[in-house]
Amino acid sequence: MNVLPTAIISGLGTGAVYALIAVSFVVIFRATGVLNFAQPGLLILGTFATSVLAVDVGLPFAVAVALAVLVVALLAAGVERVAIRPMVGRGMFPTALVTVGVFIVLLILAFRLFAAKARTVADPWQLNQLCLAQGDGTCAVPVYHYTVGRVVVAAVVLVLLGFWLTRSRTGLAMRATALDQEAAMAQGIDVGRMFSLSWALGGGLAALAGVLLASTGSVVQANDALFALVALPALILGGIDSFRGAVVGGLVIGVVTAVTAAYQPVHAPWLGPNFENVVPYVVMIIVLLIRPYGLFGTREVQRV
Amino acid sequence: MSRSRPTRAVLALCAAGTLVLAGCTAVDDPGTEAEAEAPQPSDEAEDTGSTEEPQETGAAQITIGDGVTEEPCPDAVNPDNGCIYLGVLSDLTEGPFAALAVPITDAQRAYWRQVNEDGGIAGFDVDIDTYTRDTKYQAAEHAAAYQQIEPNILAIAQSLGTVNTESVLGDMDANDIVAVPASWWSGYAFAENDMGLIMETGYSYCTEAMVGLDWFAENHGEVTSVAAVGYPGDYGGDSAAGVQLWAEANGISDVTVVPTGPNQVTGNQDAVVSAIAAANPDVVLLAVGPAETAEIVGKLAAGGFQGRFLGSLPTWNPALLQSGAAQALIGLYNHLAPTEQWDGTSEGVEAMKASLDGEEPPNAGYIIGWVMNYPMHALLEKAVENGDLTRAGLRAAIDGLEVDFQGMAEPITYGGDGKEVAVSGVIVSTPNPEAPLGVESADEFYHGATFDKVDYAQACSATS
Amino acid sequence: MTAPTTSRRLTGESRALEPRSGGGRVPRSVRRGRPRLFTRYAADQALLNSPAKRWWTLAALVLALALPFLVARDLTHLVTTAIAYAIAGIGLNLLTGYAGQISLGHPFFMALGAYTAAVVGGRPGTVTWGLELDLSLALLAAAVVPAVVGLVVAPLATRVRGLYLAVLTLGLLMLGEQLFKQWAALTGGSGVGRAGAIPVLFGSDLTRTYAVGPLLVTPETGLYLLALVLLVVLGVAARNLARSRTGRAFAAVRDRDLAAEIMGVNLLRTKTLAFVLSSAYAGVGGALLAILIGRVTPEQWNILMAINLLAIVVIGGVATITGTLIGAAFVVLMPRVLEWASEWLPFVSTGSDGLLNVFQLQSMLFGVLIVLFVILEPRGLFGLWQRVRTYFRTWPFSY
Repeated sequence: MNVLPTAIISGLGTGAVYALIAVSFVVIFRATGVLNFAQPGLLILGTFATSVLAVDVGLPFAVAVALAVLVVALLAAGVERVAIRPMVGRGMFPTALVTVGVFIVLLILAFRLFAAKARTVADPWQLNQLCLAQGDGTCAVPVYHYTVGRVVVAAVVLVLLGFWLTRSRTGLAMRATALDQEAAMAQGIDVGRMFSLSWALGGGLAALAGVLLASTGSVVQANDALFALVALPALILGGIDSFRGAVVGGLVIGVVTAVTAAYQPVHAPWLGPNFENVVPYVVMIIVLLIRPYGLFGTREVQRV
Repeated sequence: MSRSRPTRAVLALCAAGTLVLAGCTAVDDPGTEAEAEAPQPSDEAEDTGSTEEPQETGAAQITIGDGVTEEPCPDAVNPDNGCIYLGVLSDLTEGPFAALAVPITDAQRAYWRQVNEDGGIAGFDVDIDTYTRDTKYQAAEHAAAYQQIEPNILAIAQSLGTVNTESVLGDMDANDIVAVPASWWSGYAFAENDMGLIMETGYSYCTEAMVGLDWFAENHGEVTSVAAVGYPGDYGGDSAAGVQLWAEANGISDVTVVPTGPNQVTGNQDAVVSAIAAANPDVVLLAVGPAETAEIVGKLAAGGFQGRFLGSLPTWNPALLQSGAAQALIGLYNHLAPTEQWDGTSEGVEAMKASLDGEEPPNAGYIIGWVMNYPMHALLEKAVENGDLTRAGLRAAIDGLEVDFQGMAEPITYGGDGKEVAVSGVIVSTPNPEAPLGVESADEFYHGATFDKVDYAQACSATS
Repeated sequence: MTAPTTSRRLTGESRALEPRSGGGRVPRSVRRGRPRLFTRYAADQALLNSPAKRWWTLAALVLALALPFLVARDLTHLVTTAIAYAIAGIGLNLLTGYAGQISLGHPFFMALGAYTAAVVGGRPGTVTWGLELDLSLALLAAAVVPAVVGLVVAPLATRVRGLYLAVLTLGLLMLGEQLFKQWAALTGGSGVGRAGAIPVLFGSDLTRTYAVGPLLVTPETGLYLLALVLLVVLGVAARNLARSRTGRAFAAVRDRDLAAEIMGVNLLRTKTLAFVLSSAYAGVGGALLAILIGRVTPEQWNILMAINLLAIVVIGGVATITGTLIGAAFVVLMPRVLEWASEWLPFVSTGSDGLLNVFQLQSMLFGVLIVLFVILEPRGLFGLWQRVRTYFRTWPFSY
């Protein structure tokens, strides 16, 4: 098995999911100025909803995913209305703490719903593989179906999101709100509704990412939610308010993690086991040293 | 004057403090337990009409101490009985072992409810609900919860996590609190590690590795290379140490150790998969969780791996048969356990099944939790026989205590060191969708030759 | 300053206010009942600048000293844990509240302090180092070593601002966790851990019970008193720092660092000082925490602890020391209060039957309380306290 191409391709797969999560952070941050620490909670609830709809109720996978995304989007909009709207104008730091409180509540809810059971999402990919290049005897570059699924689904969704933001009226309204809330209000845009919409979008994207993360052919438990925080370095290295940066950051982190996982235990074991979980932060620190606002982030302009 | 006043005040305070400190004298901690003579209320237990044979201990008095009261338990089954309070320190919400620990605790509650319905122990009901605390698998929470419940309990019925138990072991030693651990570290067999306070059930992970590999060599042909995959700490560390000991004793030099972590920390097990694929051993011993097991076995099988897998006690969950790795698990994986599984035939298993009215629990944690109660039950009864139902009495009664687990697990005689207390029988199971809880287990305990050859004189893996 | 000659500007009774040798004095009859009449700069700047504050502080100190003799042993243990978190929280407040540098990496410095103290004052194990020196030396090392590391880290952190700084420090935390997991000689290794420093202070073993006259000083009480002394000393030092020139520099950097730089505040030096000080406080807090818990593993210094510390700072009150104390008490003691309150709720149980596990309910309520507090009271619990105090102080004109 050819190690490097396999690692890169599987890294692109996880990178696509990180990109989805990072974009969900960016959508919320651009519209409301809040770094939403509750995304992992929404992510795992999306996984749970899909699991219930696909396994217990028996709906087809695509339908179950669509419904789950809708449910979590509604939940996210509700959270915004209840917990975040009162914090308008209060600054980023306390609002981030409110999202942490919401995260605790959502996480406990997820634990209660999972009820100590492991669940599957009945995805159509399971552990099937396809072979990109034959080697001697065995497959030289095997690719799991779920890797392809992740890349395709993430790409389609992000392209659709991009079109919607740039071409539709509501998308334009959201971008206006993200740019300048007061001016947007003056133009007649319902800024409150834009807030809820952006949170709904962010929640939906997180739920979709959760389903994709759970499609590994194994089972998923409630504490897998905490893994979503690995999207933070992807978000930061791309620039916290840039969609392009989020996608690039996600893919970069995914590939770097996979390559490190493949090579580090053999070539640099002194770095310790599971060093690939720390590599995203190392990359992020290096990028921040060179570009303190991330690769594509807008430089903060200070006026005295 | 204003500048020197605060300085003078501070100096005065320091002088006062030093005076007080100088007046300190060290005293030995006076015992805070109020030992009271309590008449044995066994006559009242007989009056409740239980079918149990009446206590024949005559008019002997039982000394009771902290953690035992003559007042009935809250929501008592037998309102005329006194109450023995047992503590439970487990991971019941957010930690990585909540999936296993919740059924363990449920099984314990069911067991002691059954004991109470049968009349209790020597006129005392046993309460394990009041002092159940969630530790989230963190040593800090465990220590704080232990501090909270310690004054009111007689012993600890479940202490989850080796590190957590170790963090309060010194205090337990000072207060004579015995405990049954929900962890299988090899160090518990040695008095230097557990101070004679811990009543382990089943084998240790270290022993499991040795006897499991013996079984494998006997049933699946000669082993030339072996790999150990595990979480860091007493779980994976002990298991890997066992694999190393087995390899040394059997002249195998090709041993690969792959440390990893749960998926919430590492995201996926791809690093493990590539390391095992590269090492290509004959057998892989897994000391991870169920999700990781499914991923490792499934992906390696899909990649053409030819070896087989042995999974430690916590690696199985019936839900794995619905995952994509189900076929691979059925074909290549065996589960190791120190007790009979749900399809066992012993008296203990029958009693356990009866407690759930024939329904299946969510996972095998229920079996673990059921088995853990036998030592505590036997200890309480022996203490009653000795007439000393105090903490010190319980601690003294451990020496020589024989527990037969109603056939579910191998009998243990506590109080010795090393191989005197360590058991090494394993029940090997194969995944089977038709069987209860998804595994079909062997009929009897298997013993291997390697354990007897090995010098089991200290803990296999250190805890610094 | 030359003593002025007789001035003709003040006449009559006001002559008493002239700055003659000995200083102008306002008669006591005038000063009584006017606690906010300050006649000297030092009195205005004093930490306890009114008689009410002085008396209440004294009462609080007396209560704090008497507390372990009045409450149960486990509550003393819990309050000592709160004090350890408060010391670390004061450090974070200096960095985040006063100097405006958001840091999610505080547990890393706490861990450094804990492990330094464990190595200097702890018992050596089969794998780990331990020098078994006195606790005073261990605590001193626990303050110095993280401060040095903070000194090294600070220049990197000064390049980055705001949310980027927060995630950078999170990256530091993750790197630190990996380092600790690997460095088994220091930490015992992943999943195994090690004990903290041995509590032998100036030769006296704090794990034994002592008698001072009729009072019995149990191990918990001894640790509590040690932590209390440390808290008072460090808290007063921090409060003193906040009202000093350095404190004003911190505030200037927090509000508008560009403007501060223009006014002559050396940004690099100020931010570095903030990091160094906060790391030192974190180290002491971490060392105390390790002694209290009994055994620490590399995994426990994680983002959840960072969030707890931020909660202490924000809920207690940003840029106040008293607020940090209140916040630490809230975060550490609230689960116990919730546990006591949840006995009254009918639908919860200890096991898995019932609508909600009682422990899940406690965790959920904790999250809800964080949300409520931050939404309803922007200045934290300290702000709430100030509102109450102002109400009573201005009564009956409290509107």
